[in-house]
Amino acid sequence: MALLQTSGLNKHFGGLHVTNDVNFDLQPGEIHCLIGPNGAGKSTLFRLILGEHLPSSGTIHYDGTDITTAKPFQRIRKGISVKFQVPGIFKALKVRQNLEIALQHHLEGHSLGEEIDRLLEFLNLTDAADQLAGNLSHGQKQWLEIGMAISLKPKLLLLDEPTAGMTPDETFATGEMVQRLNADGVTVLAVEHDMAFVRQIAQRVTVLHFGRIFAQGTIDDIVADERVAAIYLGEGHHD
Amino acid sequence: MTLSDVQPRRRSRLAAAFSRLEGPQTMGRGPGFWAGFLIVVALASAYPLFSDGYTVGNTVYFFTWTFMAMGLSLIWGYGGALSFGQTAFFGLAGYTYGVLTINIGAEYGFTLVALLLAMLVAGALAALIGYFLFFGRITGVFLGIVTLSITLVFERFMAQTAGPQWAIGSARLNGYNGMSGMPPLTIPWPSGDIVLYPDVTLYYVVLGLVVLVYLGLRMLVNSRFGNVLVAIRENPERAEMLGYDIRKYQLGAFVIGAMLAGLSGVLYTAWGQYITPSSMSITAAALPIVWVAVGGRSDLTATLVGTLVVLGGFQALTIYGSQYALIVMGALLVVTVLVAPEGIIAAIAKLPARLRARSQKGEAV
Amino acid sequence: MEFLTSIFAAFYQFGDAFAFLVLSACGLAIIFGMMGVINLAHGEFIMCGAYVTVMATRAGIPLPLSILLGSLVAGIIGIALERLVIRHLYGRPLDTIVATWGVSLIATQGTLIVLGSTMQGVGTPLGSFVVGNLSFSTYRIVLIFAALAVLGGLYLLFNKTRFGILARATIQVPHMAEGLGVNTRHVYALTFGLGAALAGLTGGLYAPTMTMVPTMGATFIVEAFVTVVVGGADVFLGTAPAAVVLAVVKAGMTSWQGQLFGQIALLIAVVIVIRLLPRGISGFILKERA
Repeated sequence: MALLQTSGLNKHFGGLHVTNDVNFDLQPGEIHCLIGPNGAGKSTLFRLILGEHLPSSGTIHYDGTDITTAKPFQRIRKGISVKFQVPGIFKALKVRQNLEIALQHHLEGHSLGEEIDRLLEFLNLTDAADQLAGNLSHGQKQWLEIGMAISLKPKLLLLDEPTAGMTPDETFATGEMVQRLNADGVTVLAVEHDMAFVRQIAQRVTVLHFGRIFAQGTIDDIVADERVAAIYLGEGHHD
Repeated sequence: MTLSDVQPRRRSRLAAAFSRLEGPQTMGRGPGFWAGFLIVVALASAYPLFSDGYTVGNTVYFFTWTFMAMGLSLIWGYGGALSFGQTAFFGLAGYTYGVLTINIGAEYGFTLVALLLAMLVAGALAALIGYFLFFGRITGVFLGIVTLSITLVFERFMAQTAGPQWAIGSARLNGYNGMSGMPPLTIPWPSGDIVLYPDVTLYYVVLGLVVLVYLGLRMLVNSRFGNVLVAIRENPERAEMLGYDIRKYQLGAFVIGAMLAGLSGVLYTAWGQYITPSSMSITAAALPIVWVAVGGRSDLTATLVGTLVVLGGFQALTIYGSQYALIVMGALLVVTVLVAPEGIIAAIAKLPARLRARSQKGEAV
Repeated sequence: MEFLTSIFAAFYQFGDAFAFLVLSACGLAIIFGMMGVINLAHGEFIMCGAYVTVMATRAGIPLPLSILLGSLVAGIIGIALERLVIRHLYGRPLDTIVATWGVSLIATQGTLIVLGSTMQGVGTPLGSFVVGNLSFSTYRIVLIFAALAVLGGLYLLFNKTRFGILARATIQVPHMAEGLGVNTRHVYALTFGLGAALAGLTGGLYAPTMTMVPTMGATFIVEAFVTVVVGGADVFLGTAPAAVVLAVVKAGMTSWQGQLFGQIALLIAVVIVIRLLPRGISGFILKERA
């Protein structure tokens, strides 16, 4: 059974159809990348899954329950976690405290401290633990947010352009991070522009175009698909 | 489970609570800070010995406002929610105390019950308003202007209650002139009730409350609750996406802040034995904002110190006329926002650390 | 005939409430809509317009000219305030609201010191007229048309003039406008000045109907706040329809229970609207146009 299943999902803003009859499934344990030209409706689909927008019609099922109208925090409590495109961290707080706030749901006292240290190491942020999060480099901010997202021990991790603004080395390190998480059993859905990153991590790829699912398959299928190349070429290259 | 199992855990809970007296959300830590704290409390305790009852009674007046200020610091400084309605809760609690004690009297320690009830009424109104505002996702400037509107309309409502038809039991609301004649706080005592007139005894009671609330709030803001509150201030979306129902946390802070404003209102009313609608006017509503902004809203200590300093300065200026003092308050507010948005006291407190950092950087270069 | 009279009375009261809401709010709404800033000294700009109008009238200048003068003075002070304070606080809307509150304190108390606790006003002009057995103030009818004229004028300003189009461009995509050579600082200053001038105009228009006290601005701000909160960020799609809805509430409650209950009803209406339409009426009309 799919971990996440959207059925006939529609979203329009005024007359604009941003999500158009999307039937999308996410299988437990996979790393799935969502790609598509600008304005294809990736972000909207993302926000629908998160509950930041409510669909105009259609349903979203997660882990056997209907979450179509659940509030965002309720979805998080069911095991969905998210990393935003623009790093959503608490800039005026220290790195350690950022993680503490994420972890304090289920841990306290000594075990909380241990888990923070373990995460810091995983994120390559041990040396920056007592810095203000706002002073981190861009890549470090992205990692910190990934750390906050995985603090919740999610079943499903949503990543919105996790490597935006990263150097190639940082991007590669991020890919390894995601793969290690996946090896621990986390299902991953990532919106991503960087095709090298997609090739590094994706087990399955979905292409959105004009709010519809345009193509789906392995990265090799997608790359070989001439229609996909056409929509990207049609868009030009302002990316 | 036997008692011996429970005991250590309880002790560790208590220890954990006390360990929250310091933490990332409050300035001041370590033996140096706490030694200073004890010295200040000792000096404040010794102060009546070197003064007369009348002056000490007037000093209590300053202390009564600090609860409202600390509550505002919690809501605005820590929670990031702009509440301009603190004086509405102040006034509501003051009037509630008046109505209850004028009707029922001061026997059997009822004034203390009335104090608690008045705080609860303020908290209940805050819960009602807060429900609509926070669950309606009202944030930012709108929160400020809606809470201010509520305060001003409440003021106008109380100001027009002049006729004899405006009475609750035997308590006349008395319109713009306000309500008076309620009994002061009274502590029941075997050898005769202790009536807390503005004098040395009231001073110690209120000083004790200030210390208690200050330490209690320090523990609160360094707790999990406080962590989430500052997280919401920093980035509400992220906080929600960590699974927190941010509306409940904001509502919680709002209600606690309102009850503290209510405590100020009751103490003020009991202190002077009167309360008027002008305590909720737009000018009165601005003053807590001035104290908290000038002190440093995102730190309790800075807020407390700032409030007392600004109140003292205001009192000194009032000799020249309250309108001059208010102009200075307005100017202070504008200058603070422009020059030291984190607050003047907070900026001064952080100065040594900043200078140290700068000199270190200088050495490194 | 009596029936017709009460219908006219109801329209008159509605129109009066509508005019008061529109005129109270439009200056605040322009500044909020264009700059995201709430000007808590809004009431003091109204007071300023009223005081200038009364002083000019008593110095012998005809009332209509005095009102325009009041508006002009408030507008100039607004531009000065933008230069001195507001400009330094862009991107910090919460700090702006706090700072303007400080300005409001200074203005109220300063006026109190300089001009005293009250000033002799000018009487309401134009007298009254009678419909059926009821008497109505002619000047109130003028105010209703003034409110409509202000809305019409703003519409023309923002849709037909160069300033209006540049201002809208600046608000929507500031860096784009800058790229096109628009001096965005200039636009912000003028927008703030326009908001202040509208507040001054309101003060001037209502000056003949009010007692002149330094705190008179506070009479307007609850209505102004409420209308802007209900309306949201757009003057035409927000403030105007909000004023229509709120005027019905206010006029109804006022004629039934008096002025104060009109205000209380407004507040309750606002709180309910907030719960149902968090982004105000204009947000609802522009539904989720993200």
